[in-house]
Amino acid sequence: MIHLRAFLSDVVIFSNVVILSYFFLANGIYTLLMLLSLRATLLQTRRWAYRGLDSLRESPLTPPVTIIIPAWNEENVIVTSVRSALMVDYPRVNVIVVDDGSTDLTLARLVESFKLLETDWTYRPSVPTAPIRAIYMNPAIPNLRVASKVRGGKPDALNTGINLCRTSYFCNLDADCLLERDALLRLMDPIVNSTVDTVVSGGTVRILNGCESQAGQVLKARLPSTLLERFQVVEYLRSFLFGRTGWHLLGGTLIVSGAFAVFHRATVLEAGGFRDDTVTEDMDMIVQLHHWAAEHDRQIRMSFSSDPVCWTECPSSLTMLGRQRRRWQLGLCQTLWKHSGILFHGKYGIVGLLSFPFHAYVEGLGSAVEFLGYLLVPLAFILGFVPPFLLVVFILLGVVYGGFLSVGAVLLEELAYHRYPRFRDLLTLLIFALFENVGYRQLILYYRFQGVLKFLFGSRRWEKVAHAGA
Amino acid sequence: MFKTADPLTELALTTLVSVLIGTFLLVAVAIFRRWQQTRYSHYLESLHTRYGLILEQLLYGTRTPQGVAALRKLPLSDLERLFDPLLSTPRDSDTHFAFLLAICTELGMVELWQRRLAAADDPLPTRPASLGSHSKLHAPAAPQRLLLRAKSIRNLGILRHHPSWPLLVKALDDPHADIQTVTLNALAAIRAPGSFRVLMERLQAVALGRRATPPLPSLQAALACFDVAFCSDLLPALRHPHRRIRFLAIELLRLIVRRETAQDPLFLLTKENLSPEITDLLLTDLYRDAIGEVRGRVAEVIAFLADPRAPTALFELCFDEQWYVRLRAVRALAHPRHNTPLLLLGIRDCLRDAQWRVREAAVHTLIALGPSGKQQLYEHFLTSDDQAMREQIVEVFERTGLMASLIEAYSQGTCGVEALVVEQIASGAAPLGLPEVLRTAVPHVRLKFTERFVHYSRFKMRLQMGAPPEAAALVARQKMLEFPPALAA
Repeated sequence: MIHLRAFLSDVVIFSNVVILSYFFLANGIYTLLMLLSLRATLLQTRRWAYRGLDSLRESPLTPPVTIIIPAWNEENVIVTSVRSALMVDYPRVNVIVVDDGSTDLTLARLVESFKLLETDWTYRPSVPTAPIRAIYMNPAIPNLRVASKVRGGKPDALNTGINLCRTSYFCNLDADCLLERDALLRLMDPIVNSTVDTVVSGGTVRILNGCESQAGQVLKARLPSTLLERFQVVEYLRSFLFGRTGWHLLGGTLIVSGAFAVFHRATVLEAGGFRDDTVTEDMDMIVQLHHWAAEHDRQIRMSFSSDPVCWTECPSSLTMLGRQRRRWQLGLCQTLWKHSGILFHGKYGIVGLLSFPFHAYVEGLGSAVEFLGYLLVPLAFILGFVPPFLLVVFILLGVVYGGFLSVGAVLLEELAYHRYPRFRDLLTLLIFALFENVGYRQLILYYRFQGVLKFLFGSRRWEKVAHAGA
Repeated sequence: MFKTADPLTELALTTLVSVLIGTFLLVAVAIFRRWQQTRYSHYLESLHTRYGLILEQLLYGTRTPQGVAALRKLPLSDLERLFDPLLSTPRDSDTHFAFLLAICTELGMVELWQRRLAAADDPLPTRPASLGSHSKLHAPAAPQRLLLRAKSIRNLGILRHHPSWPLLVKALDDPHADIQTVTLNALAAIRAPGSFRVLMERLQAVALGRRATPPLPSLQAALACFDVAFCSDLLPALRHPHRRIRFLAIELLRLIVRRETAQDPLFLLTKENLSPEITDLLLTDLYRDAIGEVRGRVAEVIAFLADPRAPTALFELCFDEQWYVRLRAVRALAHPRHNTPLLLLGIRDCLRDAQWRVREAAVHTLIALGPSGKQQLYEHFLTSDDQAMREQIVEVFERTGLMASLIEAYSQGTCGVEALVVEQIASGAAPLGLPEVLRTAVPHVRLKFTERFVHYSRFKMRLQMGAPPEAAALVARQKMLEFPPALAA
């Protein structure tokens, strides 16, 4: 009995050390990212005050861009998204919608709304894809094309879009997203004004729920009405405003949202196009590009800017939220596992030595570590290994530190972007930031843990998140 | 901070309290910032309410001594705030800029911006005493100074303040990349003759690796804003032994020409706007340059040359060994002035190119050449055995909306090659596109089209079943002319 207790004690103490190291590592790096982003975002905002977008808009060197919208059963949102993409303020822009074998009225809605005609278009694939059924267009809207194809998944739909695209750069846009008018110009700025080949440029995704929108444009940014959606607003702010900005500044970009990002077409093709062996093709592509650049000894840059904005609908029910987060976590684990050769590999620089290990430990395994923490720490308390006061202090610390980081993100939003002009919205955001770690974080952790389990059990199923339409 | 028996508890407690304090500090900063923002926007609003009308009057040329006096009493910082929206949004006409420049000069703002430029590291200068007594500005912090400098440069550029260009050229040496970029934009807006040469030197230095900044695309974009009259300064670069320099120079010339043609569709490069040396260089050496990318761009420039040697050079480029040169050459010919027998021959040859993009460009070019270009295209469509090419032509017909026009003309009884093309298309060359166009056509067009096509089909069937004497004669004529029956008729 004494031996068993000693063994249990060792296990619990070891677990607690792991949990503590995770806590300090994760929060330490998040704090660093926050501080870096704070400075960079403020400088960037100030920069727009004198640089403006006119020079970029009028420059003959601003390259044309094709917006590729993969869509599967998006009948509620597709027309609005395409309208938003067509209205974007950019000198030369084409839009390609790829209907990935929808079983609903997605294609019919597009044909009806844009008066599309089926054409005898010759499909010349650079990367193999599922067969094309038809290509539609309207000669009066020459920059819009719709391809209808046999279902092959989102990566396959994106590859179809790349095959049809004739421009050097393409922009992925999810079918439930609305672009801000100047978003593409802002997204292309790091590409046009860079001295290094910038092959990827990612932007920010914000939550559309609750906002007033009309004809594909967000008129007034407002907070959503439900608790679940409001927590997601804070979560997105934290993730995009300092998470990704910070990693970009460190040169360790590993995730760019596939909902809204520009890619260099030729480089993506050289890297083999989007793959379907993970459920997060966006992250997989970024890591694949790092691989490709290291193998071919090419100097490339992947940029992230927090000011180009696209608005997306977030899940408003627990079921949909669960589906989304399980898929994200599953995709993250699949991608990290697939490219595990990068881990601590000096050839990949910051990506191999810092960013990839961080993502593997904190974002990948972290959910399991944290989830186990919620079980083991109380167990340690019950078994008498942890004094009650220390337990309470640690729980409070976890909650408060999370709140600190979230409030930091809200502050960043307030200092730099000011998208929610009502004072009431600012206060609401601050309150939700303070309490995000009480309940909501644990819920997300539960879904993420499920995602890890799905990965361990080899599941590859894509869980569809339905969109109601804004 | 906290003394307890357990050091771990002590550390945790200290961290907890620090983080708590930090969190509330951040909350306080966020709220304070919002309050500050609201106050500032109220202040701006009041400024605009008080002085907006005076400003508008001045901008439209209505000058009142009281108005100017009221503005003169304002501190320069307030004047800048007042003028900032006018300078950051595009104005309707050059007249507005002229008035705006006059007011800014009179109120001492231009001088202030120039002084900021001249004294990069000095504290911000104060307003001259003659312009007001209460106008002292405090020296701002370093990032603020960068912002003010950058805005000053931007404003001088927007107002096209010509005398400032030497100062702006100096600002190109600023260590801050943003200042360099803003300066390039300003120089591009002012377009002072002397600055073109300076920018070209910079471009060459960056291209050859002697300098790292400003970024090459920013330099190119700035240079491309200059008029074609400045292009004589490109001559040394066009003759440069380094291929990259030659490429950048010809690319620049191409961009300038493209901008000019966008403004004036009838624009041509003549002896008046382009030096004869450059014309000669283009038509003797550069169109045969060893670098394909140079030749391709040369094609796009010589397409606008008013020189008798240009068509021959373009014709040769249509047969270049590199497909991308042929592509650029055939695209460059998409203007009715290139509708000459020689060039039509070149374009028609591109219809048989091995590269589908060249073939596609040739189809578009023939359509752009007008009726005679279309005629050539229709004839090629009718006589070609290349099924892939025929499909590609139909594809372009559908994409450009030409299919709908052809069907409408056919339903109205048009004869000749166009009718033959429609009959070929309706016989299976456009299995998807034709039904779609008919589906969306007006009922009258649909009916007439069907009537005529049914008549044609019956005739064709009779021909195939056992050619009657008149049909046999038609077939003989068709063979002679290598055209299908309707054309021969």
